Amino acid sequence: MRDAIDLLIKVMPELLQGTGVTLQIALVSLALGMIVGLPVGVGRVYGPVWLRHVLGAYITLFQGTPVLIQLFMVYYGLPDIGITLGRLQAAFLTLGLNSAAYQAEYLRSALLSVSEGQMVAARALGMSKWQAIWSIILPQAVRLALPAWSNEAVAMLKYTSVVFLIAVPDLMGQAKILASRYFAPIQIYLIVAVFYVVLVGITYLILTSIERRMRIPGLTGDAAS
Amino acid sequence: MTSPILRIEDVHKSYGALQVLKGVSLTVQPREVVVLVGPSGSGKSTLLRCINLLNPPTKGRIWLEDQEITAPGVNQDRVRQRIGMVFQEFNLFTHLTALGNVMIGLVKVRKMRKNEARDLAMFELERVGLADRAHYYPAQLSGGQKQRVAIARALGMDPHIMLFDEPTSALDPELTGEVLAVMQKLASEGMTMIVVSHEIGFARQVADRIVFMEGGVVVEEGTPQQMFEQPVHERTRAFLRNITR
Ligand SMILES: Nc1ncnc2c1ncn2[C@@H]1O[C@H](COP(=O)(O)OP(=O)(O)OP(=O)(O)O)[C@@H](O)[C@H]1O
Ligand SMILES: [Mg+2]
Repeated sequence: MRDAIDLLIKVMPELLQGTGVTLQIALVSLALGMIVGLPVGVGRVYGPVWLRHVLGAYITLFQGTPVLIQLFMVYYGLPDIGITLGRLQAAFLTLGLNSAAYQAEYLRSALLSVSEGQMVAARALGMSKWQAIWSIILPQAVRLALPAWSNEAVAMLKYTSVVFLIAVPDLMGQAKILASRYFAPIQIYLIVAVFYVVLVGITYLILTSIERRMRIPGLTGDAAS
Repeated sequence: MTSPILRIEDVHKSYGALQVLKGVSLTVQPREVVVLVGPSGSGKSTLLRCINLLNPPTKGRIWLEDQEITAPGVNQDRVRQRIGMVFQEFNLFTHLTALGNVMIGLVKVRKMRKNEARDLAMFELERVGLADRAHYYPAQLSGGQKQRVAIARALGMDPHIMLFDEPTSALDPELTGEVLAVMQKLASEGMTMIVVSHEIGFARQVADRIVFMEGGVVVEEGTPQQMFEQPVHERTRAFLRNITR
């Protein structure tokens, strides 16, 4: 028991550093994923046919291949065509574009489940198609996509662990270093697993509170009214 | 004689091979209330959606006041602003309160300032008797209240003509009265209206003219008295007898 506590105290600073890196990668990638995923999702549903196909190909590419291969392509492959990225940048870009593909798909199915009458009523008021999408359809779709989006955020926290393979010192990267330094892989990985669980738990709490706050009064699931 | 507010000339509408409207002509005068009746599938909804260009006609022409709105190059969004539409299924924006539903068109389309829009929206909600429900969401309103909010939302755009597509058919019978009362009040204030409805009481009392459609054409039109008492066509007689029973 003493040994375990000693070990925990020794590895704590590096694991906290690693946690910071993991959080940074997850947040930046999710944000990039949202910035890219939102227009991609909208374009998939409301864009011209050729655009829908192009965006569909992008989504298939990122959903259909292992994220590790995507990371290697970005980090080791892009320099061949003259784009050299730092480790962190490569992590942001890969996970961001990967997440964008998933976020776009969540948004797409949410957009499709907003009832058709909403668009018709908006157009009947004299809104243009894009005005209607922006002020009427998207606000409803974003709410519908929120549960799936929460899962994406949680998945992203765990996905980030692939970046240790390009030597980014995230939580997983630190774990690997510490495990060999102290010859205690089981203990270290157990501690790290607990770190991930806590991160996921906190993320989950934050997101469910956002979901609750964005809920539309009177609609199902709102037990209070 | 005043010039008509709406003139529909030989309008056709097809969906692929299916011909829904086969040459409809109709003229509506300012302040007139036209009730449009006909069997299911006769093209009533399609005609309304042609008028506000939600589904433009495949052939034929439509004038709104002095403008031919079916002419190429017409700004359709602008045209729709002048035509209010009320749907059977209400189609209120579910993420907005009653007030928000009325305000959004004022802010986004009429480009009014927020507080100006709020005042006008409140005024429109008062007109339909729902000022006290301004901050309720659609899911918290009864069907009749939803439809009255939908009417207020359309009125906010200051339409020159209002189209109603079976505004009471999705309502429980005890809720139709409040909606019909609002529509009757609108009519008495001089709003030009085309109403698809099989509410016979409303048609008798409020309509200036009843138009009977079947199979994508207007079979017969006339005052409620003519249409109910002495219709020319046997089809009209049979249909109206059926719905008055
Ligand atoms: N978007 C569409 N695509 C294909 N067919 C359509 C479309 N909209 C309507 N139709 C067809 O056009 C015909 C007329 O429909 P419409 O809704 O205008 O009838 P209606 O007189 O309003 O009937 P109801 O009393 O049932 O509302 C129907 O056969 C319908 O199936
Ligand atoms: Mg209809």
